[in-house]
Amino acid sequence: MSTSETQQANPLREGLATRAVPQACSVVIFGATGDLTMRKLIPALYNIAADGELPPAVAVIGFARRKKTDDEFRKEQEESTKKFSRQPVRDEIWNSFAQALFYHPSEFHDAAGYKSLAERLEKIDRERGTGGNRLFYLAVAPDQFEAILKNLKEAGLNKPSEGGWARVIVEKPFGTDLETARELNTVVRTAFAENQTYRIDHFLGKETAQNILVLRFANAIFEPIWNGRYVDHIQITAAETLGVEGRAGYYEGAGALRDMVQNHLLQLLCLVAMEPPTDLGADSIRDEKVKIVRSLRRMTAEEIGRNVVRGQYSEGAINGKDVPGYRSEKNVKPDSKTETFVALKVRVDDWRLADVPIYIRVGKRLPKSGTEISVHFKKAPAVLFNRESVSLDQNVLVIRIQPDEGISLRMQAKVPGTSFRIEPVKMDFHYGTSFGKASPEAYERLLLDAMSGDATLFARRDEVEEAWAFVDPIEQTWVAKEDQPGLFMYPAGSWGPEEADELLARDGRAWRRL
Amino acid sequence: MPATAETFSPGISVEIGKIDRELKKLWAEDGGAKTRASLINLAVYSEAPGSLPVNTKMISEITEDHACRAIVIGANPGATENRVEAWINVHCHVSRTGSKQVCSEQLSFLLEGPSARLLPNIVFSQLDSDLPLYLWWQGEFSDPMDPQLWAWVDRVIYDSRDWNDFCGQMQRVETAQAEAKQRIVLCDLNWTRLFQIRLALAQFFDHPAARARFEEIESVEIDFAPGFRSTALLLTGWLAAQLRWTHDRQKATNALDFRGPSGRGIRVPLQERAGEPIGRCVVRCGSLEFSVAHAENVDLLDVAMGDRRCRMPAGQNDTVRLMSEELMRGGPHHVYLRAMNCVRDLL
Repeated sequence: MSTSETQQANPLREGLATRAVPQACSVVIFGATGDLTMRKLIPALYNIAADGELPPAVAVIGFARRKKTDDEFRKEQEESTKKFSRQPVRDEIWNSFAQALFYHPSEFHDAAGYKSLAERLEKIDRERGTGGNRLFYLAVAPDQFEAILKNLKEAGLNKPSEGGWARVIVEKPFGTDLETARELNTVVRTAFAENQTYRIDHFLGKETAQNILVLRFANAIFEPIWNGRYVDHIQITAAETLGVEGRAGYYEGAGALRDMVQNHLLQLLCLVAMEPPTDLGADSIRDEKVKIVRSLRRMTAEEIGRNVVRGQYSEGAINGKDVPGYRSEKNVKPDSKTETFVALKVRVDDWRLADVPIYIRVGKRLPKSGTEISVHFKKAPAVLFNRESVSLDQNVLVIRIQPDEGISLRMQAKVPGTSFRIEPVKMDFHYGTSFGKASPEAYERLLLDAMSGDATLFARRDEVEEAWAFVDPIEQTWVAKEDQPGLFMYPAGSWGPEEADELLARDGRAWRRL
Repeated sequence: MPATAETFSPGISVEIGKIDRELKKLWAEDGGAKTRASLINLAVYSEAPGSLPVNTKMISEITEDHACRAIVIGANPGATENRVEAWINVHCHVSRTGSKQVCSEQLSFLLEGPSARLLPNIVFSQLDSDLPLYLWWQGEFSDPMDPQLWAWVDRVIYDSRDWNDFCGQMQRVETAQAEAKQRIVLCDLNWTRLFQIRLALAQFFDHPAARARFEEIESVEIDFAPGFRSTALLLTGWLAAQLRWTHDRQKATNALDFRGPSGRGIRVPLQERAGEPIGRCVVRCGSLEFSVAHAENVDLLDVAMGDRRCRMPAGQNDTVRLMSEELMRGGPHHVYLRAMNCVRDLL
């Protein structure tokens, strides 16, 4: 049943919210003792409850290997939620919320554990009114997916009960290349249909990412100039001061391209490049996004060599403190060739942005953390003010995704005085300044959406696979080179290897200063 | 900034014609360390004696979440002597990231005697351009209402609980709304007060299987605190409007009687009890009972469907929280207008 049906059918809901209504359900979290559950998922569910948005008939069942009781699980989650919650934990709310928390110990491959889970869920349905609706959250490594999904299917938990629904949320990474992504999607599809599958990309849950569509399509001034006639180029940057921070085991096999570009940055690129959807339905938006991924110009090995720069940080300093190089990090091979920095020049072969290069860069141990999209408009024609000596800057529209979410527009202004001096000035909108109330965390929004059946902010199978189809040749080209000569070192605390600057300098451009 | 919110004085006394200049001076003294922010023009009008310091305190709190240019007016149209005074003030709060001070300007005016008719002129001359104008009218609306003022208001905020003559007041608001050059959204804080209760009641019927229960509703018991009968009536009006109940005037009982779409009788007894504005609301459908009751000593609702229980936020009944909630939610409030029409029918 769709969200709009829920609202239409319950007249008391009319006017109460402008978003889809989350439905009563049991949320089963696989990997309930893991970091993601403790830091993000349970705090997010608590915050939804504290904001009064969680339906009272919701139960959360933690599923993991370790033996523990419901009470022990509740106690652990209370401690971690107190540490990681967006808002302070209030005992009165927690005590009520905790009554809906349960723990189900089982090995992921043990069929009996799923049979008993099914019985338990039925009991919870009867006792708490969760109505047979099930949301399964796979907060585990992808190598566990197959066992979990197979057992869910065998226990009949993938099938919605009468009048209810069953959905699965899959955490990234969705594979390590196109082939594994297809395999993974096939595994998921054996148990859940595409419309039951929610592939989470937490970047899409961020307020500013959602605001990109509003900025573009709710403001008439931008859309007419959002094309190759007026836009010179676009930059997308995701910079981190952090290193691998205990994720070396995963990161060594992934690298920046697969960890960030294939998912988060290509999702942002889609939002900034897509055509207006016919409506705000999940598939309308995702149809437009997937067109962009398909339109990304595939590169030959030679073009990859020219348009993609990869780097790895060596020792340096961050915020005045010395930090080791990547190869000296714990669990990293001393001769590791894994990239911690990637810069790419990509092209979207569609009518809107055919002539507009899009530069993407992502890196660890850069001087400053920040994710942003900047749209650089063409310069004003060389008449009037800039005819002789004055070189005017471009107008730049910046969408800051994190931190300090907001939008700024750089334009030219006359410096007061008798001389005719023109300097760039910035119009700046900060969410934090204009809106006092803190935005919900991305996971709060995404969990609510999954409970409401709204898949707009989740990646569809074809989006994921098309993104891999674009990224795979780059990865393969790197691996194919025997000595992998294209890995450039950059000192921690710098803005990446010089070759990344040259990528733009060749085109007469430069990276925006964050 | 010389004037701080902590004093709750309206700030620095200024000549009306020099407000802009004095504001600039105020910002210049600061040297740019603070950020001015404004999303709306919020004009506050009150004829209550001593309203300026009270409203200054409230604006100081409201601006923590809603950056605005506040134009606070204390008026006494019945005074014999003519008096016009103005003050400027700035309310600063550390932003939620803790990185900067975000400040909202407040301009205050005291209008006594014939000068009270200057209200529209004063409001218009001090607006932050291009931002919407919200007019928060405290107390009863005067008759006739100045059409000049209404011509430019985007949202008018009031609390129908303060009204003695509900029908008369509502008629004035609607007349003004009809005569306005643009669509004015009516925002009743008495309606905002009901938000969490409505949310708690609505969720009982979200599941498709629960919808059949609408036809089985036999009674809705509502407990309200002294002074909040209008809030209870509004809650009743909402249920009646949304569930298409018709008021059954034939029955002369202490309760309100309705007929559902299928002709089934529904009784709504309203009971005055000390406590929260709406202390308890119990919907009975045959053997099943849906209950929303304010928990004791805490701002939470005890929500129960049969023997299943949980807690939800109750919201707060203080004016600042209600205003903050109203400013945050926005919306066209057409459901409210439907509920109001039902209330009119109940009076």
